[in-house]
Amino acid sequence: MILLNLLVFGFLVTSILGLTASWVDRKVTARVQYRVGPPFYQPLVDIIKLLGKETLVPTGSYRSVFLGAPLLGLAGAVTAASVLWMNQIHPQTGFTGDWIVVIYLLTIPSMSIIIGGFASRNPLASLGASREMKLVLSYELPFILAMLVPVVHSGLSIRLGDILLAQREAGAFAGNLSGILAMLVGLLCIQAKLALVPFDAPEAETEIVHGPLIEYSGTGLAMYKLTKNMMLFILPFFLIQMFLGGFSLAGWGILWSVLKFVGVLALITVIRNTNPRVRIDQAMRFFWGPMTVIAAVSLILALLGL
Amino acid sequence: MSLENLFSLDLFSFSPLAWLAAAFAGLFFILVVIYSLNFMKGRKGLFRYYLYTVLTLVLTLGVIFADNLLLLVILWGFLGLLLYLLIGFGRTPSTPATARKALLIVGGTDAMMLLGLALVWFLVYGPGTGLSGLAKLSFSTVTIPVAGGLSVAAFLLLASAALAKAGAMPFHTWVPDMAEDAPIPVTAYLPASLDKLLGVFFLARISLELFILDSTLGIVLMALGSITIMAAVMMAMVQHDMKRLLGYHAVSQVGYMVLGIGTGNPIGICGALFHMFNHTIYKSCLFMAAGAVEKSMNTTDLHRLGGLAKLMPLVFGAFFVASLSISGVPPFNGFASKWMIYQGIIGTAGNGWTWIIWLTAAMMGSALTLASFMKLIHAVFLGQASPHVTKIAESSRPGTPFALAAPIAVLAVLCILFGVFADRIPFGELFSPVLAGEPVFPGLWSSTSATILILAGLFLGMVVYLLGSAGKTRSVAPFIGGEDLDARPSMRVSGVDFYSTVKDVKPLGVLFDWAERKHFDCYVVGLRFADFLGGILSGLHNGLLGRYVLWCLAGVVALYLALIG
Repeated sequence: MILLNLLVFGFLVTSILGLTASWVDRKVTARVQYRVGPPFYQPLVDIIKLLGKETLVPTGSYRSVFLGAPLLGLAGAVTAASVLWMNQIHPQTGFTGDWIVVIYLLTIPSMSIIIGGFASRNPLASLGASREMKLVLSYELPFILAMLVPVVHSGLSIRLGDILLAQREAGAFAGNLSGILAMLVGLLCIQAKLALVPFDAPEAETEIVHGPLIEYSGTGLAMYKLTKNMMLFILPFFLIQMFLGGFSLAGWGILWSVLKFVGVLALITVIRNTNPRVRIDQAMRFFWGPMTVIAAVSLILALLGL
Repeated sequence: MSLENLFSLDLFSFSPLAWLAAAFAGLFFILVVIYSLNFMKGRKGLFRYYLYTVLTLVLTLGVIFADNLLLLVILWGFLGLLLYLLIGFGRTPSTPATARKALLIVGGTDAMMLLGLALVWFLVYGPGTGLSGLAKLSFSTVTIPVAGGLSVAAFLLLASAALAKAGAMPFHTWVPDMAEDAPIPVTAYLPASLDKLLGVFFLARISLELFILDSTLGIVLMALGSITIMAAVMMAMVQHDMKRLLGYHAVSQVGYMVLGIGTGNPIGICGALFHMFNHTIYKSCLFMAAGAVEKSMNTTDLHRLGGLAKLMPLVFGAFFVASLSISGVPPFNGFASKWMIYQGIIGTAGNGWTWIIWLTAAMMGSALTLASFMKLIHAVFLGQASPHVTKIAESSRPGTPFALAAPIAVLAVLCILFGVFADRIPFGELFSPVLAGEPVFPGLWSSTSATILILAGLFLGMVVYLLGSAGKTRSVAPFIGGEDLDARPSMRVSGVDFYSTVKDVKPLGVLFDWAERKHFDCYVVGLRFADFLGGILSGLHNGLLGRYVLWCLAGVVALYLALIG
């Protein structure tokens, strides 16, 4: 049963929606830049094309880790997605503490990129991967604080199902002052989790040529692209579950769900298209400074019941 | 007191938890001896080395099973001495200083423990009972509710010995020093495993059996734990020696155990004890892997290592598993116990808002741990090989001897087993009497089904791989904008300075600076204070006649004033 859920929702549905999200992102970006943009099926075609390409391994690298790292990232993303979907479909059945598990699982794709970069035996990849690690450290602190706000609002439950059910009763947490502040912080953390501009220092195409992914080609690159596309769906999905009451899959609710998702996605896309890249130390100061303060303030507000 | 009376006392108690701890102590003894057979080969005084190792095990078992407090304190004292003697087998120039430091910190807290015992004696029997009362104090008969200054002092004095043994702040500084100087098997044996078992087990027993804590003391423990987690892991991130870096993690992880015990609720305590056992497994695995690296490369300086994954794949694999465990990545064992501790922290939410700080510190601590292990993995195993490594790899084919590899592999497998089957462990039965009765948990992390999910995810990835072209690969030179990597050794990134950015962040930089000047080292601060006092006292008698005449005159005046008054 859980395996079926993993295959159908965790992998198939999530990757289809992820690829679609990636298309929306590319299309909107293109429109912002007065281009036409790719057709709907382009992200899928890209992945299929990469699967057919030759897989190159840099000489002197540790082959099994280099090729194994992308698997780890995909497994983390798929597992996180299936836990989220399980909660979406049956909010009553989730286990206590899946909030913690999901937060941990969401860092695994970053970790796999770091390990893959390290195994490439390429100084640029090492630099990029170390930046990715520092970025993880930076956003993790405000991210945890911000994600605690829904926990407080749902009566200190660290079960995602309870957080969803509490929102069905009392309305989305984003309706509160603390909720909207925390969601803002969460949104910027997601930007960094996806390594999108302005937090794309790990990949910085113009300086370190895609950083950790520089040596990847063919299947390995296809896996990373697929994982990244899936994360482009999973992270907004998590945010929507935490602050916007999740999806509803019946009647007009579907349209409303799509609107929620596209809204979050559009925000991410607009941020990435209207900001310049920051240096990694600037990103660190940004997250450990203002973002942590805002997250802490929203948490205090949440404890006061606002 | 006659001899019969002595034997009629309940000296030992054999609880399931004590048996479990004893089994772990025995396991680590066996693994360390196997490891030492190769690692310590050819060193001087090996008979004494093995003798001390056996004695340590015997005394440890004594402390674990002891019910009588006096007996426990006596055995505990000898363990400090054995620690000192075992550190002495190190071969670095700073070994004697490190051994002295460890002896002073551990011995000093032993004295505090004795004082704590005296206070317990006073609290139970009041003034006027003789030694017979002291010998009768035991965990099973004495229960003291913490109320008022004396009982708090007694608890804190006893706890300080436990914290020093386990290496928690503020008595932690001997652990990183020792990790750097003592032989690896000794580090894997004492601060990484047995001392954790002793210290945390003792802390759990005094917090839960001997005393009845109130929530304030619980908060003190949780604060100590959180500070330990964060400060030690921050220090670990910027280290450039593999052993010292691991030493700071041995400190940082104790924070989780102290934090868990401080929560005072069943799941938190259970998590703390489970984390203690998990810690002993992954930490000795990590130290032993560092030992295997040291044995073949003759150094643990991160600048001079790199690219070892190809030379020692087994050590790399085990190190990788243990790193993921210590960083709390699901489904390994570190995650299972940290998860329980997080639950415990949220369970204390009734006592005010402080739980947010502890929870954030604990979760953030995990992320920082992961970061510093990523750095280690890069600098030692995955990154580009240093000239030093290349030279050794060319002259000899460095492998890992069986005696070194076997314990490392066993421990890595245990990391996986304890993580995957964490939901099958009967905590309620195993962890009595510290947990009275069957504890009520708010739910357990279903580790087995989560593992199946993750494995299925990996399998899916494999399928995608098979769809693609990963079966046949071609090897090409790495692309660095057209430069030739092998022709330019200066382009190598060792990874040692990955996190120097952290030092640039404003308030942290100052703290790092203070830590480097050892303002947080209780031993160094103590030495400075002693120097200061000594300076005053030695100023009193500097050998000059005039000064002594002055003292004589002052004495006469004082006597005169006393007599006429």
